[in-house]
Amino acid sequence: MSYIDAGYAIALAVLAGYGALLWGRRRRLERLMASAEEQAEP
Amino acid sequence: MSTTTPTTPTTPATPAAPAPAAEPPPTPSPRVPVVAPWSARSQRVVRWLGVAAVVSVVATVWLGLWVTPPDAVQHDLVRLVYVHPPIAWVSLYLAFGIAAVSSVLWLWPRTRSPFWDRLAASSVEVGTVFTALTLVTGSIWGRPTWGVWWAWDARLTSTALLLVLLLGYLAVRRVAGAPEARARRCAVVALVAAVDVPIVHFSVDWWHTLHQNATVLNANLSPTIHGAMAWTLLLGFVAFTLVFAWMLAVRYRIEVLVEGALAAEIDLALHERWAEGDDSPPPAVRP
Repeated sequence: MSYIDAGYAIALAVLAGYGALLWGRRRRLERLMASAEEQAEP
Repeated sequence: MSTTTPTTPTTPATPAAPAPAAEPPPTPSPRVPVVAPWSARSQRVVRWLGVAAVVSVVATVWLGLWVTPPDAVQHDLVRLVYVHPPIAWVSLYLAFGIAAVSSVLWLWPRTRSPFWDRLAASSVEVGTVFTALTLVTGSIWGRPTWGVWWAWDARLTSTALLLVLLLGYLAVRRVAGAPEARARRCAVVALVAAVDVPIVHFSVDWWHTLHQNATVLNANLSPTIHGAMAWTLLLGFVAFTLVFAWMLAVRYRIEVLVEGALAAEIDLALHERWAEGDDSPPPAVRP
């Protein structure tokens, strides 16, 4: 693997991984809050 | 001499009735966290922002790796210019600029709002990822160009210091305490760290460094790059700015949700303690 490929691969993989992490965390928290609201409803 | 007025009872004395048994106070249910859902419009904007970011990054990679010509001096290594400077632009100017301005607006009493604290914290976290990538991609570019992975060069060292300051901000953010005290601490740390940004920018002018001088944002404001390279570089700046904007929006939403979940946890803990036998009602933790 050349230095160019390594630079692109690392940059894109890290950004994609971090983006997926953020997206998953947001979805998990949204579901948590929605289920908490449902449970608290009379 | 004093006079006394006889007092007459106004109500006839009645035998004391047995007091009714005290009813147990109603058990309050834990309060539901008040977090407004993302509006449909916000979701749509963030979704399209994400799509635009992905499309522009793919276009940048395609143009950068397969379309643009090699450089006369650096040959194919110049292709890293479409990744490294745009990432550095996001970390140094965009993320830190937003964090610094938000911190000032939080510290300023007339504009103080939790919005600025959340925005600063979100921008710093996303900016930390971009700063780390700036160092990594720069190091990968430096190895074939300079012959070393790392040098204690002014630009590299000041950027590494910036990363340490950002990590320090995130550490301070995790220190327990009242939300307002935490926000104040973080805002001060962000402003102290912001002092490093002009040092990073002007380091190549102030000191003799291995790192080249500014190509686009130079003193004469005349970019020393042209043609397909310039347009692809510009697209790279737009692409990584869109990526940052999308990440910032999602990270901000997470900050709001975490605050809501934390408030719900506090409510639940107070409720459980109250249910264990403490007669006093749980205090309000939220309006």
